[in-house]
This record gives sequence, structure tokens and C-alpha cells, in this order.
Amino acid sequence: MLQVEGLTKQFSNGKGIRDVSFTVNKGEVFGFLGPNGAGKSTTIRHIMGFMRPDRGSVTINGLDAWKGQGQVQRHTGYLPGEISFIDGMTGASFLQFMASMQGVKDTAKREMLIRRLQFDAATPIRKMSKGMKQKVGIVAAFMHSPEVIILDEPSSGLDPLMQKIFTQLVLEEKAAGTTFLMSSHSFQEIERTCDRAAIIKDGSIVAVKNIHELQSMQRKLFEILFETPEDAQRFAASGLIIDSIAGNRVRIAVQGNYNPFTAELAKYPVRSMDIFTQNLEDIFMDYYDREAKVQ
Amino acid sequence: MNLALYKEMMRVNLRGIMNYAGGSAFYILFMIWLYPGLADNTKALNDLVQAMPEGVGKAFGLNNGFSSAEGFISGEYYGLILVLILAIVCVQMSTQLVAKLVDRGSMAYLLATPTTRSKVAFTQAMVLVTSLFIIMAVTTLSGFAGKAWFLGSGYEFGIARFSQLNLVAFLLFFAIGGFCFLVSCACNDEKKALGISGAVTFGFFTLDILGKISDKLDVLRFFTLFSFYRPGEIVQGTAAWAEVSIWLLMIGLACFTIGIQLFRRRDLPL
Repeated sequence: MLQVEGLTKQFSNGKGIRDVSFTVNKGEVFGFLGPNGAGKSTTIRHIMGFMRPDRGSVTINGLDAWKGQGQVQRHTGYLPGEISFIDGMTGASFLQFMASMQGVKDTAKREMLIRRLQFDAATPIRKMSKGMKQKVGIVAAFMHSPEVIILDEPSSGLDPLMQKIFTQLVLEEKAAGTTFLMSSHSFQEIERTCDRAAIIKDGSIVAVKNIHELQSMQRKLFEILFETPEDAQRFAASGLIIDSIAGNRVRIAVQGNYNPFTAELAKYPVRSMDIFTQNLEDIFMDYYDREAKVQ
Repeated sequence: MNLALYKEMMRVNLRGIMNYAGGSAFYILFMIWLYPGLADNTKALNDLVQAMPEGVGKAFGLNNGFSSAEGFISGEYYGLILVLILAIVCVQMSTQLVAKLVDRGSMAYLLATPTTRSKVAFTQAMVLVTSLFIIMAVTTLSGFAGKAWFLGSGYEFGIARFSQLNLVAFLLFFAIGGFCFLVSCACNDEKKALGISGAVTFGFFTLDILGKISDKLDVLRFFTLFSFYRPGEIVQGTAAWAEVSIWLLMIGLACFTIGIQLFRRRDLPL
């Protein structure tokens, strides 16, 4: 459905993307993971035909993204990473305008989406919060029922409840056969919906894996508060990977296999436990390290 | 051309355009209303102008004479105020229609719909041209209305020459608008587009005035589009207005075409 082949673009400041290739199958939700500045947006700009690649190509539904201007967009919906609408419009008038640009007459889906995302479309856009603008953008990307939907950082600005509704929307569309490409800098955002994901770093793809493999590669940090410093010491000496220890507080890294960790932990009374959210490099630390060694 | 985009852009910009058109209409009516009082003192006024340094009179169109209404208006209104109004409209709107949308990222929404870049750029160019046309049409019609209300048949007012004057003024700004549009299509940065097109437009205008003030600086007039526009000569019937119109039309069309092509081919940071 969506093929990116050997996409290369060099900018004058030395940054850019090198030889980016991946394929997204029909009905698949594909994640595109990478830290900020890794080349996610640049790749998406090529997919949307905003930039001409130095080398390589993007094909959507058999059409070249650069040459097929005006045709490709019949099959795609797009949510830009930075939300900026045309001045002097309300949410409703913007969506009406987008619908007329898309050539869509049926308003049923638009109204359903507005209802599901719970926002007042009559609000002038300049008075909207970031989350509300994000909702307007999501409606604009979904409302014409495209075959491929490209979302750049879709859940930024949405509160947890709305993120859940958004996840449901994506899964419903997926069940109806829609293909998704979703970029993010957070693994948590991707893992809820995606089947497979590509990880991009410094302009190159480092891995394309299914989500279960990525979950098993994921490194999680737990902070455990024991009853006594002695318990903490004994737990730390049990051979698990210890990140740090201070008093009765132990920070431990777990990757892939949780069983030795839970078995050991069960021996002690635990006062409190936290899981740390980490950035992408930390989550896939081993993976990035191994890549660095191979190179 | 994308009709949905055209309608929306006209809706967004219409209020601003009507303000400029209204201002222009009011001013020209005011000038015409003023004319009968001046016409009775033509001789004294002409003497006054004679007393001024020749260059100043030429630069600000005072030498067009006060013996006919269109001569007076051509000097006092078409020589300065209208030019400034339209120059501002050209610079501001051309920047808003393309560079601003690219800079802020709203262009991404337009290009994510089934339309081509050429169509988007052409539509935006049409919005600019329509706006200039509306302002000029309102000004021209106000001129005719002013003649009917304030001058009647008692004073001279050459309808044909007044129309030619308006046509050439419109085409001058068609060409300048084209240039500003070209700049806007080439820039990623709104402020840069505004700066370049503003500097060039008002630079042209300044070169023209300098060229008129002093014969020594006459050479400057080869470097400005305003040399094509001689309101005084048009109302006196000594300008080759048809030839000038064709030149301006060609320059404008060329600029718009290059702008659209540039926008079609370049990388956009959206």
C-alpha cells in the first residue's frame, strides 16, 4: 500500500535522511519511531510529496508521491505535526472548507468524529487550545475515509481520555481496512495501536520489527521502595541488573524477561513501586548500543 | 484553479479589500468635490506651481495642470495616494497568500487534498488579481459617480482618458503584484517575503520619483516598473497607453507564471 524505497535527502546543513526503506501493507498500522530530529518529519514530507527526494521514491497505492500530485491525495489523509490553520475560521468552517477541497459531500462521518472527540466545532480556531486544534486536525485527516492515513505525532496535546478515544478510532478504522503510518517519539504512544514499527535514528532506519519483538527489546526501569535498607541490599545482591541503590530505594532495569525479577521481588515486603517513562534511546539502549558496535 | 479555495480566500480577504476600496473611493470623491473650487482659480494655482522648483512639480504630478478634472486627479490622486494604497495591497496580500501559509504550515492542509500545487498557486494568484481589480473598479466607478454628482457638465472631464488611466494603473499593479507573488512563492519565511517584496516595490517607487526630480538621475528610470506609468501624459493624451498596457500585461503574466512554476517544483518545509 505504501512503499518507501531508498529515500535519500541531504540538506545543506548536513542533516537529512539516508536510504530510508520500508513497506506498509494494506490494513496495517505502522509506527515510525525516533527521537526528535531523527528524520521522521522529513520522511513524512516526502511521503506527502512536499519534497522531492535526491534519490529513491515513495509509492502510495501504486502512485509516485512526487509525480502523482492531485491523484495521490485522493487516497490519503494527513495530520501535520505542527497544527496551523488558516486565520479567521471556526473549527466547523475549516472542516467544511476542507471537505469541499476534498470533494466530500457526505457530512455523516465528520459529525460522528466531532461527537466522538467531544469538541465544540463552532469555536474560532484562534481561541482553541492545542488539544482542541489537534482534534480538528484529526477530524480533517479521517473525515473523507481515505485508504491511507498519515499521522505525525497524533496524540500530542490530547489528554489521556482523548488518547484512549483516539486509539479506539484508529483500531476501528484499521478493522475497516484503513492503512496507517504514525510517527512518534514515544514508544507508549505507538505500542497501543501498531502492528509493526520502524526505528529511525540520525536519518537512517535502524530496525523494522513487529511490536512484540520491540516490546521484548524494551528496557524498563522500576524503582522499588523496600521496608528496610537491609532488604534493599539483599535484593540488589541477587544478580539482577541494578541501575542504582540509595537507602531502602533500588532502581532496577528489566528487559524482555520479567520472571526472574518478579520471583526475586516476591521474597520481600514492598512499600511502593514506580515505573519510569524513559526516552526512546534509553528504552532501546541495548539495541542502539549493539548497532553502534556493529558499525 | 480550485473554486473552493478561491471562495474561501476571497471570503477571508474580502473585508480588507473592501476597506481599501472604500478608502480609495472616498478619497477620489473628495478630490473631485474639491476640484470646482480650485478650477475657478486655475491661473493662480498654475502660477504657484510655476514658482516651485521644476523637479518637485514633476515628481508629485503638479505639472499636470488644473484646467481639467482628470488632469487634477491624475496628478493629485493617481500620482501618489492610489499608488501607495495598491503597493501596500500587493506586498501584503501576495505575502499572505503563499509565503505566510508555507511559513506557518497551513499550506500542508491545502496540499494534502486532491489538488496540485500549480492549481493552489494559480488560485492564490487569481485572488490577488481579483482584489486589485475590485479596488480599481470601485475607484473608477467612484470617479464616474463623482463626475456626475459634483461636476455635472460645467467642467471638463475626459471619460476615455480617465478610463485609460485606470486601465494602465490596474496593469501596473498587475505587474507589481506578479513580482511580489513571485517573491512570495520563492520564500519559506513570511518576514523575508514581506521584506523583499516591500523593499523592491517601494524601491521602484523611489527610483521613479528621483528620476523625475532631476534630469541627471534620469537613468534611474530604466530600473523601475513605474516608468511605464505616467498619469499626467495619459490624461494629456501624449502617452502610448496601449503599448504600455501590453508591456505591463506581459511582465505581470511572466512573473505570475514563473512564481507558479517555482512553487510547483521546490521543496516545501511543511
